[in-house]
Amino acid sequence: MDPLLYVLDLVVFIGIFGIVSLSLNLEFGFAGLANFGKVAFFLIGAYTYALLSQVGVPFYLCLIASAVVSAIFGLLISLPALRLRADYLAIAILAFGEILRLIVKSEDWLAGGDWGITVAPAISVAGASHRVDALINIGLVYFCLLIFFFIIQLLANSPYGRAMRAIREDELAAEVMGKSRTKFKAQALMIGSAMAGVAGALYVQYQYSVLPGMFMPMITFTVWIMVLLGGPGNNWGVLLGATLVEVFERGTNIAKDYIDLPVDPSNLQYILFGALIIFVLLYRPQGILKESKIRSKVQRLAFNGRRSAKNKGS
Amino acid sequence: MEDALLKIKEVSKHFGGVYAVNGVSLEVHRGGICGLVGPNGSGKSTLFGTILGLHKPDQGEIYFQNEFINHLAPHTIYERGMVNAFQIPRLFYSMTVMDNMLVAARGQKGDRLFNSLFLRKNWQMQEKGLIEEALDILELIELEPWAFTPASELSGGQRKLLELGRGLMARPTLLLLDEPAAGINPVLGKKLFQKLKALSADGMAIFVVEHRLEILFEFASWVYVMDKGRIALAGKPQDIIDNPNFYAIYLGEE
Repeated sequence: MDPLLYVLDLVVFIGIFGIVSLSLNLEFGFAGLANFGKVAFFLIGAYTYALLSQVGVPFYLCLIASAVVSAIFGLLISLPALRLRADYLAIAILAFGEILRLIVKSEDWLAGGDWGITVAPAISVAGASHRVDALINIGLVYFCLLIFFFIIQLLANSPYGRAMRAIREDELAAEVMGKSRTKFKAQALMIGSAMAGVAGALYVQYQYSVLPGMFMPMITFTVWIMVLLGGPGNNWGVLLGATLVEVFERGTNIAKDYIDLPVDPSNLQYILFGALIIFVLLYRPQGILKESKIRSKVQRLAFNGRRSAKNKGS
Repeated sequence: MEDALLKIKEVSKHFGGVYAVNGVSLEVHRGGICGLVGPNGSGKSTLFGTILGLHKPDQGEIYFQNEFINHLAPHTIYERGMVNAFQIPRLFYSMTVMDNMLVAARGQKGDRLFNSLFLRKNWQMQEKGLIEEALDILELIELEPWAFTPASELSGGQRKLLELGRGLMARPTLLLLDEPAAGINPVLGKKLFQKLKALSADGMAIFVVEHRLEILFEFASWVYVMDKGRIALAGKPQDIIDNPNFYAIYLGEE
């Protein structure tokens, strides 16, 4: 085992799940949508990429297609789902994800069923070592992450993001203040799903294969832990959360080989995750980093300008 | 006489078997404060909710600026210029006072997805003007020093004021106020009504539910009295005060 490769691999994973947790942050952190079917859109993006790249479509088109197809599914699920109350919405999308996984699992003609299909890497350099491979992936993943981070930051600090937060705080009040909750939520689901789709595509091309077993509901919960731990409503926070959870996952994976435990070590990881999330929700419900304020430089400038003008006047 | 700004014809709304609003017809005109009074449970707030589009009326027609609005969603009615301030403040508590104000502004360019990303200069220009406007209103309702504190840190009365401030921020054509003076100290309450009177003289119509009759009757130009889901009396404040039935309805005096 090459330790450096292990670290590079970790960095790729942090990037991929960073994208997914950013997307959940938009949906849950800003718009207040309890999307418990994150993995569904991760899966849609992954399979779109796999199927298209199999017929020889260039990788950047595959990535774009993954985003578009996931966004369409996000919009479609939002039509019936947004009529539901938050908790029912969560259950509905959770079921949607499981149904999708079972479909690709049992329909062998679609993408190899249980055995999955192999996926060509996005960028392959002839004769490159695993390390170089990982470095290329880091470049690709973090390029996408950067773009998404930038977009979400812009949205969060604009009147659009403000309206989203208002809907999260009080749907009804926001609705009678001219903010269409259906529109904002549907758009949040669309953008979030597109991002998750891209992350799914990046994931399977990095893994060289796609199979239903990669899309267990645990992925959704892991992403939720990242967001809740890092701080919903704070884009830096969720990236920190993604990093911590990934490192924790790897750490316990390594540690379990060296410790003798009375329970199955892989179950222990879930137990620890559960304990961690209870701990966070009890003692720091806002996450490690607090929700970022809407960047209000213009606001403060206006206020200070007014103050000084008044002082001169008196 | 010009057409009424808000015209309600025979509107009914029932929940289960109980008629909360039962065949109410009324008109609200520009250029004055129109009051709505009545005992608790007489259907005032339900009537407001129905006008705002929160409840669909079971019967009757609602016209705003001669447009039939029964079927419109609340957010479209808001963009038409009908704005509401709730009886119990429904602020966005994790947001600052200023952000609460700014959410309420009508016709914001930056609250569309495309504009917020690609026409940033465009909405930032508008935003500067809105901030000035918000600070003016906050000064009026004596909340300017708290402009950048979270709304959750305001006291009960201040929350009530901010609720009103948000309503004003939308530059409404018709402002619906549900008990704006409740929980606010008498001096400020009176000052608010003076300001509302001035605003209404400039063309904004105000339709207000208020239990503090001494303030309302001083400033209102027309008053409707509701009882058991119906309009029981209507008239100028002085006529209402002089009407012996009014005391029977309002105070339960026989």
